[in-house]
Amino acid sequence: MAWEYSEKTKQLFMDAVHGRPGTHLGEVENPDGLGEHGSIACGDALRFTFRVDRHPKDPKKDVIVEAKYLTFGCTSAIAASEALCTIIEEGGYTPIEALKISNDDIVKFLEGLPEQKIHCSVMGAEALEAAVYNWAQKRGVDLDALGIHIQSPEDAEGRIVCKCFSLTEPYLKRKIKELNLRTIDEITNATKAGGACMSCHHVPGGLQDLLDEIWGAAAPKPKAPPAPVEVVETAAGNALTMSPYQFGKKIEEAMDHYVRPMLQKDGGDLEIVDIKGTLVYAHLKGACADCVAAGQTLKLLIEKTLKDVVDERIRVIQV
Amino acid sequence: MRIIYADNNATTGIAPEVYEAMIPYLTEIYFNPSSMYDSARSAANAIARARNDIARYLGAKDPKEILFTSCATESNNTAIQGTAKANPNRRHIITTSVEHPAVLEVCKDMQRNGCRVTFLPVDGNGNLDISTFIRALESDTLLVTIMHANNETGVIFPIERLSRLTKETDPSIIFHTDATQSVGKLPVDLEGDFRYVDLLSFSGHKLHAPKGIGALYIRKGTPCRPFMIGGHQEEGRRAGTENVPYIVGLAKALSLGVENQKEEDERIRNLRDRLETSLEEKIPYVQVNGKGAPRLPNTLNISCHYVEGEGMLYQLSAHGICASSGSACTSGSLEPSHVLRALKVPFTAVHGSVRFSLSRYNSDEDIDRIIEVFPQIVANLRKLSPYWDNKENKPRPDAEKMIGGQE
Repeated sequence: MAWEYSEKTKQLFMDAVHGRPGTHLGEVENPDGLGEHGSIACGDALRFTFRVDRHPKDPKKDVIVEAKYLTFGCTSAIAASEALCTIIEEGGYTPIEALKISNDDIVKFLEGLPEQKIHCSVMGAEALEAAVYNWAQKRGVDLDALGIHIQSPEDAEGRIVCKCFSLTEPYLKRKIKELNLRTIDEITNATKAGGACMSCHHVPGGLQDLLDEIWGAAAPKPKAPPAPVEVVETAAGNALTMSPYQFGKKIEEAMDHYVRPMLQKDGGDLEIVDIKGTLVYAHLKGACADCVAAGQTLKLLIEKTLKDVVDERIRVIQV
Repeated sequence: MRIIYADNNATTGIAPEVYEAMIPYLTEIYFNPSSMYDSARSAANAIARARNDIARYLGAKDPKEILFTSCATESNNTAIQGTAKANPNRRHIITTSVEHPAVLEVCKDMQRNGCRVTFLPVDGNGNLDISTFIRALESDTLLVTIMHANNETGVIFPIERLSRLTKETDPSIIFHTDATQSVGKLPVDLEGDFRYVDLLSFSGHKLHAPKGIGALYIRKGTPCRPFMIGGHQEEGRRAGTENVPYIVGLAKALSLGVENQKEEDERIRNLRDRLETSLEEKIPYVQVNGKGAPRLPNTLNISCHYVEGEGMLYQLSAHGICASSGSACTSGSLEPSHVLRALKVPFTAVHGSVRFSLSRYNSDEDIDRIIEVFPQIVANLRKLSPYWDNKENKPRPDAEKMIGGQE
């Protein structure tokens, strides 16, 4: 699918490529902050540098006055780099304030990015973090003491598995191991991966394949809800205290005693088509069959009666 | 000689509007939709529009739930093999004995690969028995695959009810329906009546799009491995460069089908009913297969006892009338129709079955012509039949006994 770039993205890219005034291609000499992110191996690399106006007393009050980048990457990576530098220069931020610029801000500045390309904006934000870290070291600012924790950017590199949330194979594998994730649902709950379009669940190299690779193909698969038939036979704590025959008989007795007389008053009747474990398949007949409230009747009258009289786990299914 | 085409369940003619819509993508917009340049974007956009339209016509929530394939057979293969691969802990499949071979044969192959398959029987009218269906649902069941409308008889299965019973019994069981004969002819609402359906197959050439394009609806989150791998197309769920002109044609054909559904349904149903009543009146010893069941409005499957289908088709063809038969001689496999056999149609009548299937391009004149020539065709063959008493114009008294041995 061809990429759908916004006009703004295309404009920034063209300006940068032609070196028009006001663009930020290049490198600051003797930078106060330098950050790199990505590598040629993964197809995107960004070297980000900035210069600050040094505050005479408090380095925390340094203000970024110039930002530049060198980027190896696609149209949107270059446009995202341009966007990052422009946002920073125009904002007159201190390095610590600049950390608040997120990939969302970059995407907004670019007037949107195709979802497959969101990782380009992440790259800009990651390079900025690295540069701020570098600045802090040079200026003796203790970021940890300020409650700012800059994370290793390694997770953003690698094959993207979940396109909707730009989550990579190394990241997902690490999370699967760290958090002992065993099912796709667990991965989605922990990382969001596979939570939107769900296409990556069962494709080659998708979430199920990552699970199988890490835990082995014999890994516990998503547990099926307790199958109805097994309720009777296996689940020990859950077992019926009577045989399926007795159980069926009890249900018929309850029907004859409590339910049928009420239905027959309205010209209707009911047939038990089948019983599987605690699932009772019932078919309304006569006047009841065409009644708009048939579903209600089953739930409120019949299921409730059976729960009260026979077993509270009973579920009635309308046939 | 004018051709009267009454074999629309086999394939349909391409609608002129569909052809028109496809032309730009067969000529100047030939680009690979995955390419980067601006021109390629119009190809990619055409696919996106088609996907949106199809999703809307079928009532699907998200266009990404529509996957383009090469035909309904591929869609069915993907649905059955893909779900079996994605759910290795379950090994039981439920289907019916009257499915199209694109489901039936795949299920038999799954059997060879270690799955258990329940082939549900049908009654003499072609209906399923609901309590037999309920009994077939097991804790090990991974997939239920049941067609919406039968290609031979037109009998419609209650997919809304079957899928609901399946999901209420166990939401992990996947429900697939082959809707090749019904999409465009019957209403399908995947967020309405069909909200319990996980997978739905159909193809273009049954609704006036060309051959070579199909689709598979996959409800979001349904575990199903791809059948074709080797590319990123369709989010990696169906590899292969997209067939842009045919995808555009499919969307156009479906839009025509849906827009004209009500009007066409009434008119085509009237044509079919008139054909059915007239033939029943004019020809002794006939039976309409599936008569006692809900049926597609366009399909008439009629059996003439003691004559052979191919002989009828041959004579119809001489009059320019195109139809098909469930007889062994016409099947390619020399096996009589498994569908009519499942309906317990006697051998004498299975071989003498003819299927007329209509479309919006059929007229009153077409029906008049069939009514005019078909009774004589049957009479001609009966004159030659060893089972027929020409003097009395009825089967010989010992006819059934003579045939009895064949069972």
